[in-house]
Amino acid sequence: MNAVLSIAKTTIGEAIRRRVLLVILLIGVLFLVIAPGLSVLSARQNYTVLTSFTLGIIQLTSAVIAIVLTVYLLPNEVERRTIYTILSKPVYRWHFLLGKYLGAVGALAMMMLLMSTVLVLVFKIMQRDASMEDVMRLATAPIFFFVQMSLLAAVAMFFSTFVSPIVNIFLSGGVYLIGTLFSPVFQDLSNNKNLSPAVKGAATLVHTVVPNFAQYNIQSGIINRGPELRSVELYYATIVGYALIYITVFLIAGMMVFDRKEV
Amino acid sequence: MIDWARLANLLRYGFLERALGSTALHLRWYNRIAIFPGGLCLLNLAIETKNLTKTYKTSSGPQSVVKDLDLQVERGEIFGFLGPNGAGKTTTIKILLGIIDSTSGEASVLGNPAGDIESHRKLSYLPEKPYYYEHMTGMEITQFYASLFGIKDRELCERLLNRVNLGNDMNRPISQYSKGMQQRVGLAQSLLNDPELLFLDEPTGGLDPIAHIEIRDLILKFRDEGRTVFISSHELSDVERICDRVAIINKGEMVHQGRLDQLLSGGRIEITADNVSEELSAKLRNDESTVSFKAGRLIADIPDSMKPGEVIDAIRAAGGEVVSIIPRRKRLEDLFLESVAGDNVIKGRKLSKMTDDHDDHVGSGTATTTEEEVSS
Repeated sequence: MNAVLSIAKTTIGEAIRRRVLLVILLIGVLFLVIAPGLSVLSARQNYTVLTSFTLGIIQLTSAVIAIVLTVYLLPNEVERRTIYTILSKPVYRWHFLLGKYLGAVGALAMMMLLMSTVLVLVFKIMQRDASMEDVMRLATAPIFFFVQMSLLAAVAMFFSTFVSPIVNIFLSGGVYLIGTLFSPVFQDLSNNKNLSPAVKGAATLVHTVVPNFAQYNIQSGIINRGPELRSVELYYATIVGYALIYITVFLIAGMMVFDRKEV
Repeated sequence: MIDWARLANLLRYGFLERALGSTALHLRWYNRIAIFPGGLCLLNLAIETKNLTKTYKTSSGPQSVVKDLDLQVERGEIFGFLGPNGAGKTTTIKILLGIIDSTSGEASVLGNPAGDIESHRKLSYLPEKPYYYEHMTGMEITQFYASLFGIKDRELCERLLNRVNLGNDMNRPISQYSKGMQQRVGLAQSLLNDPELLFLDEPTGGLDPIAHIEIRDLILKFRDEGRTVFISSHELSDVERICDRVAIINKGEMVHQGRLDQLLSGGRIEITADNVSEELSAKLRNDESTVSFKAGRLIADIPDSMKPGEVIDAIRAAGGEVVSIIPRRKRLEDLFLESVAGDNVIKGRKLSKMTDDHDDHVGSGTATTTEEEVSS
């Protein structure tokens, strides 16, 4: 386990110094800071627009960071030949892949923590009468975005074991879009009794294979303050468990491919 | 017939130890010798391949990068692995390290199948032009690689960095290191596990002369410490100077393998004589010999197969005076060129050198001497 943690630590150190990621992060933070100015122009309530807009920025920025960060992790190591030095030590390939993934998630966590801190500060400045409960509710969303991005990173890590970074960007981005925008549609189709078994089967297949990223978008509940679930904790635990299962499956699949890959 | 070497390797790497219990442990000595009821056996091969083949599927059909390679590297020697670019050297090293699998054949490293994680505890690899995470210092890099062995000994890292003369620079970021310093960090990390076997890929490539000499001296020290060093290099002068044995491969196939002194024996003899007539010099010229005049003195470069005694007698009989007879060993460069390119290219090379370095030499049969060849 020493090797996994060392590789993860090194990956974090390198990721937080990558200029392209820092530029994306900077743009995200910049939008968070100017968001209140944009909301003034809106006819809608400040709270709704500000919350919706800032959470959207964090989600989009995090998704771009997660993909750009992860798709280059393995190819860069091969290109720079560091992988040969590491794999010539008593390090299994799965150690290496897991270390890389944990490092990516660690770096992602640090960057998302920075954006979330800016979010809370901006919210507190703009919504002076907001209660602590409101702030805590707002801060919940990035936590689930982080779970979502960890799942996205696992998807990108899996693809990176057998496709090039550019292809991986499109594949991972595609899976994320389908899982975010269309997962509820496929779920409905798979449960629709009026459809033919073939269509239902296809919908079930897509719904099963493509992770449901949509369930981590909990911002609508925060924005609209609608009726609460009977057990929020249970729901949260379920979707975190769902993510852990999918992350495990994607990483094991990636390890199996990577174990046989000629680097 | 008992294969003692195989049995010894089984004992050495623990399979028989587990079967025979602790008594077997006491039969080992310094990992090199195993004593059996009936004999004593040297565990002498660090690397062995048999019919090692690597074939890739390409759009134009299967392409063999390594073909039936039989390689034997003895323990405690510096072994040079030579070949032109694309000869299959790196592929072979990758197979030996277990980074890629062979298509067929066998490869064992320190008695274990290539790629075995147990072997990895006892070997090290320094790739060509190694890259290190630039945000880290020399010390952090060394500690990172140490952690991959489960080593958390900062003093060991310091000691190794001092050993490669980086004691004063160990806390500087690697991005500020010169190529030579980066190579020395590589050597420090390669010693972390006190390896029995080191794979060094172009260890002196692109280094300035001082760094070059330092690295070369370190490699010689590794051998003095009893380590086996496997060097893949294009620096033929280094290989000739430090290696005990070499293998030359071309297009994935073994061309030569053996002790350097044996491979380079059967060289040429340079005879220098005064008062030799043009008539005699014309007689001495043929496809295998080169004859030239310098300051009125004849210099004949003949293969030792030409019976030098007869040549000397002929010179004396014609009234000439033999000034010197210098046996010249074949150079590794010549052997390498013969091995990878064949005679045509060597002749072409000599001819091209003739046009570049033309002086007052007299031409010979097919190849004409140059100043460099005469003086070397």
